[in-house]
Amino acid sequence: MSPPADTRGLRRAGLGSDVWNAIALFGLTALLIIASRWISSGFGGWEQTKAILVLSSFVVVVAFGQQLVILTGGLDLSIASVMTIGGVLTFNFVGASPTALIWGVPLILLVTAAIGGLNGIGVVWLRVPPFIMTLAMGIIVYGATLGITGGTPRGQASPALSALFTASVLDVPLVIYFMLAITICGSVVQLGTGFGRRLYAVGTNPAAAYIAGLPVRWLTFLTYAISGASAGLAGILMFGYAGGATLTMGQAYQLPSIAAVVVGGTSILGGSGLYIGAVGGALLLTTFSTVISSLGIAEGWRTVIYGLVILLALLVLREELYLWAGQLVARPVPLRQPGEPAAKPDA
Amino acid sequence: MSAAVTLTPPPEAALSLDIDAVTKSYGPTIALRGVSFDLRRGEVHALLGENGAGKSTLVKILSGIVKPDNGSVRLGGQRFAPHSLMAARAAGVSTAFQELSLLPNLTVATNLTLPKQRKGLLGLASRRLNEAYAAQLLAECDAADISPGALVSDLSLAEKQRVEIVRAVSHRPRLLILDEPTAALAEPEWLFRIVERLAASGTGVLYISHRLAEVRRLCRRGTVLRNGESIGTVDLANARDGDIFRMMVGRGAEEPADATATPVRRDAPLAVTLRDLRGPGVDGISLNLHRGEIVGVAALEGQGQRELFRMLGGAAPILSGDVAVEGKPVQFASPLQALRAGIGFVPEERKIEGIFLGLTTASNISLPILGRLLRFGLIDRTRERAEVGRAAALVDLAARYVGMRISALSGGNQQKALIARVLLSGARNLVLFDPTRGVDVGTKEVIYGVIRDFTAKGGSVLLYSTELSELVHLSDRCLALYRGRIVGEAAGAALTEERLVSLATGHGE
Repeated sequence: MSPPADTRGLRRAGLGSDVWNAIALFGLTALLIIASRWISSGFGGWEQTKAILVLSSFVVVVAFGQQLVILTGGLDLSIASVMTIGGVLTFNFVGASPTALIWGVPLILLVTAAIGGLNGIGVVWLRVPPFIMTLAMGIIVYGATLGITGGTPRGQASPALSALFTASVLDVPLVIYFMLAITICGSVVQLGTGFGRRLYAVGTNPAAAYIAGLPVRWLTFLTYAISGASAGLAGILMFGYAGGATLTMGQAYQLPSIAAVVVGGTSILGGSGLYIGAVGGALLLTTFSTVISSLGIAEGWRTVIYGLVILLALLVLREELYLWAGQLVARPVPLRQPGEPAAKPDA
Repeated sequence: MSAAVTLTPPPEAALSLDIDAVTKSYGPTIALRGVSFDLRRGEVHALLGENGAGKSTLVKILSGIVKPDNGSVRLGGQRFAPHSLMAARAAGVSTAFQELSLLPNLTVATNLTLPKQRKGLLGLASRRLNEAYAAQLLAECDAADISPGALVSDLSLAEKQRVEIVRAVSHRPRLLILDEPTAALAEPEWLFRIVERLAASGTGVLYISHRLAEVRRLCRRGTVLRNGESIGTVDLANARDGDIFRMMVGRGAEEPADATATPVRRDAPLAVTLRDLRGPGVDGISLNLHRGEIVGVAALEGQGQRELFRMLGGAAPILSGDVAVEGKPVQFASPLQALRAGIGFVPEERKIEGIFLGLTTASNISLPILGRLLRFGLIDRTRERAEVGRAAALVDLAARYVGMRISALSGGNQQKALIARVLLSGARNLVLFDPTRGVDVGTKEVIYGVIRDFTAKGGSVLLYSTELSELVHLSDRCLALYRGRIVGEAAGAALTEERLVSLATGHGE
């Protein structure tokens, strides 16, 4: 498999074939949009494409942090609650005021990053398994949201945030530009910075990363903090889109945040995958969900189908797991040295 | 099947083994270039060769773990091409691996009875039956002192090695392969008795060791492998050690340590000083490492060398004692801090703790200096390429490998990349644990050259190797470790393999 010359930089980071995966996902998304003409003549055009892109922006944003966590071999199950608290805090405390927006948004991002940071502390220093730590954190954060709002979020819509979705430049909603910017920035962080490069090293082989002198714990901690902030940002965006916040607004995004990353070609076991792939995964899943919605099925069953589609996508990608397991089996001799347990990164 | 254990297969089951022109390569690395020899019915046949000669690959082929590319293996006249360990076992070949294959979190009995657990009522695995069977097995093999109920992880290395051997024997093989079986055994006599018993009953034994004395005691014939080729099969009674050694290394004798390198650079400034270092497995080690000096460490398996090196690399805790680098006291609790203190560490397990298989060679090498390569927060790829190129040239790593995924490289080239990385890190003191393990002869020479260059420029090196010849060849002086302590030192003309062996076995002074 030899990627063309323009992916040399990527190839150098050891990531060539992932680009093809992402391109395939974008292609599939386009095909699905075009094919949806068959369902309704109003579909398959630019209007529908715009709608899908706008709707996918939440998953695109939340998938960034989720992917970083997954790259280290972890998982963030708290993002639904963190999205909710991000949206609810903005609704309650920022509201319509543009000046409050200027200090409020960074502050809310800091709060959600801190929540993610607590996940990181739990996983890295207290050695709680990521599943349990983030699941528990999700429950705690949900409870806190309930406490803060007394059960009913009250506030005002923010015209400035809503403008992201209503205002357009060149017939393209602002949020799509925003999404593009996030995609580029996210990819640069992954591929161009020392942080990104070290993260892949940690994900590929934590023990070797530790021996090579990488700050493995600190890097892992950071991914959770970033995941918190990106979930917070997604919550703020959702609030802008809906003009309000509910206590369940983030719920629908937990599985898609993981599915987009995994469908996007990121190894669930850590160490490989590109953000651009996760973006492709987010677009594809959102398109699916939109097309399913248009079939005129009752909402409950729609969710069932959506869940099944995600499950199916993960099953198809399971091949990767087989490959990995196969490699393990094919390893000629037990790798462990007599008498010496394999070193743990935090030994 | 009854629970009774019989070590001795019926005599008519004895088989001969014919290996003819077997080759095997892993990607660009040729592990076996052509190996041919035969093992007669009931013979104990020695397989001799240096590390990297191809012994392990041959063991894997015979055990059904890898398939040869070409050539034929015949067992008792029948084509023998097992596709798995179980298939090889079913055909009557069982192996005690050098790198033990026991499951540490299970009991001795479970390890001995897997995959066919004895079933009790309800068809569930019965602990009582399994342990009774295991006890019988251990007793039959003269290893009744090992408790069947003990967890393997609680056993000493020697005990684990014995369980590994007992397990191989318990399959009632018609051909038993023993890969470096005495590496960890305190009392090899135990093994000799088993081998002699099996041989007397007609079981063929392929005995792999580089300890000539053992081999002479057990085997009449031996085949020498060098660089993936069978150099010849010798009648051991008529071959002198020197002849065999010459066949193994391809030259008469190891060149004497470079005379110009001595006198030892003891008057050079101190690079690393250890004072009464203690920790798990390390029992009060003090040493001075001077600038420009290569200090070797010789030890039998499990004498604290691994722990000592890991401590110095920041990968194991130092419980007490002082470390100073260039006169300044330093403390470190992680490899990162050790690196900052000026100590670079190359661990023994390349794939587990060394390289990042998913990344390119270049990314593997540039990892420790990423911080220095940043421009406006982004990695400056041009400078990265230049730095990596410089480091690759130092270790003689061909430029075409640099852009490839490191998983596509041979073990030797991976090791070069690993050493390039530690050189690039800027550490002035290197702690190298068996840096030539499992690499080919050419790479070894390159690594020797790198180590000498590094010290010639004022760096200092602490080197452990499982090959004494390597220590004799490279070190300015060599320390012997025994039970976590330094028990002797040899330098100059006194630095010989024989001397190191006697020191390392605790019979020094």
